[in-house]
Amino acid sequence: MEFSRLEIITDMGKLTGLKKALSKAGVSGMTVAQVIGCGVEKGTQEYEPETNEVMELLPKQMVTVIVENDSIEEIVELVKKELYTGHIGDGKIFVSPISNVIRVRTGEEGMEALG
Amino acid sequence: MNEKKLGLPSVISTGVGLIVATSCLMSLGSGAGALGIGFIIPMVLACAINICTALSMAELNAVMPNLTGGLAQYTLAGMGPFVTLVTMVGGYIVCQSIAGSVECAMFGNAINSVFDTGIPSSVWCILLLAVLITANLLGIDMFAKIQNVVVYGLIASLVIMGLLGMFGMGTGERVSQPMNLAGSFSDCFALLGLAFFLFIGCEFVIPISQNVRNEGKNIPLGMILSLVVICGMQILVVAGTGNYVKWEDLGESVSPHILYGSSLLGRVGSLWMILVSIFAVISTVNSAISFLSYLCAGMAKINLMPEVFAKRNKRGAYYVGVLLIGAVMTVVNATGLSTSDSLSFMILVAIVFWMVSYIIANINVLIFRKRLPKAPRTFKVPFGPVIPVIGIIGNLFMIWNIDGDPAVRNSIYAIDGIIFAILVVYAFLWCRFRLKKPLFQAIPIHEVMAMESPLYIPAHRKKKPGRGMTGKTVRTGV
Repeated sequence: MEFSRLEIITDMGKLTGLKKALSKAGVSGMTVAQVIGCGVEKGTQEYEPETNEVMELLPKQMVTVIVENDSIEEIVELVKKELYTGHIGDGKIFVSPISNVIRVRTGEEGMEALG
Repeated sequence: MNEKKLGLPSVISTGVGLIVATSCLMSLGSGAGALGIGFIIPMVLACAINICTALSMAELNAVMPNLTGGLAQYTLAGMGPFVTLVTMVGGYIVCQSIAGSVECAMFGNAINSVFDTGIPSSVWCILLLAVLITANLLGIDMFAKIQNVVVYGLIASLVIMGLLGMFGMGTGERVSQPMNLAGSFSDCFALLGLAFFLFIGCEFVIPISQNVRNEGKNIPLGMILSLVVICGMQILVVAGTGNYVKWEDLGESVSPHILYGSSLLGRVGSLWMILVSIFAVISTVNSAISFLSYLCAGMAKINLMPEVFAKRNKRGAYYVGVLLIGAVMTVVNATGLSTSDSLSFMILVAIVFWMVSYIIANINVLIFRKRLPKAPRTFKVPFGPVIPVIGIIGNLFMIWNIDGDPAVRNSIYAIDGIIFAILVVYAFLWCRFRLKKPLFQAIPIHEVMAMESPLYIPAHRKKKPGRGMTGKTVRTGV
């Protein structure tokens, strides 16, 4: 398996920095979706003393990038450093395997389709 | 989106500006008076130890970025409220109050050494304090605005005068004397404490990190270069002084920079130095009063000091802190800080607490390494635990060698011991009866980060016990 998918869910304000950092690291494409959701804190604001009983969904962004397995550690480390503030809501990174990539226009597959 | 605008040169200039104060010249004069150019050895050692601590501070900032309280919050998350209270109240509030008082005394001494007014130095100090307390209460920040200009004026003056003295280009009479008075390394170690005072405060750079480009690299590098620049500048001054001022006269002077200025360039030199140093004293003492009132307010917000410190007057000033700090400085000056010995002694008493807080900072790094080994850090001190451990040992060594004279050393330990005992009692009572938390239970980092929010205290004040009608569950983290 040559590729992995990184799904990065994080705060809305982090897109510019993330885009800049990924571009600098040579990542050649990304997909961004505006989503709503919450994690274990159920959408509670960090200053609140009590956790919500019912989940409150907050606006977030989900950034998807496909990267070669060889550079996955480096990219994950970069994303972690870029997103880290120490505050609740910094985000989550999901890593999953990709079995193939196909460029529709040319029919290229695998590495060629990404390049 | 905010663009980060500050680069490495800005970090260095801020660092240098924050570390240098005229009271540093007092310890420089005392040290050089005792060891001649041999004082350069403890200066370099103290600079190296402070570089270790600066690197640790940079890593702490990487783990818990953009906090206003800095070491208070790192320690609260690393070692709990008891150590935080003792360190912060001792390390910063007590120490800065004493250091600010010494800075004030330099003002009175400098005026009398040039103009011979016949008015006691302490009267000038108290007048200055009255003006600065009033300015702070009225929220006037004009002194803060000119701070960088005057501090750089002082630095440029010292570099120029150092070079003039070193190359024998002054108009005054040259003196011939042995340049080095240090006979052994133990002579040098005995003055490490005084040398340390020349380099404290580089951690005050950290609050600007959120505006610095590539802060993971520029903040630690900027702090190191600030310390190196200051070390170089002070070495120039020591080397230049040896050609124009007798070491014993320098050691006894209460305003060594004025003495050097007049010995090097006559009346012009003394007027040059008094002009620069008076402005530098005013801006430094002003920012000390302001910084401490903000620090007290910040600690009140995280419930480590009485709430009254967070109250503002109509002009937005944290007036309780301003008045209290001003009163402490006034009392210290009224008791008479007029001789070089008393000034040096006060500096040594104060910096023991500062050294303790630097030890705690290095320990915090090791604690966070253990507790959060995988947390992303934009900066990590290289070589594993080696540098923080060197920082700890170096600071302990400096406390152990705080003065070469055993009698003076014991007096310093005795005064610090009494202050420490008072702080321990205060911290114990505060944790037990006000915070109602275990003394050494660290507060989770995310909770400490949450305390930065201005909504934290109001939200927690409204908290109801157990499950309330609001459909929320009480958190058990803290």
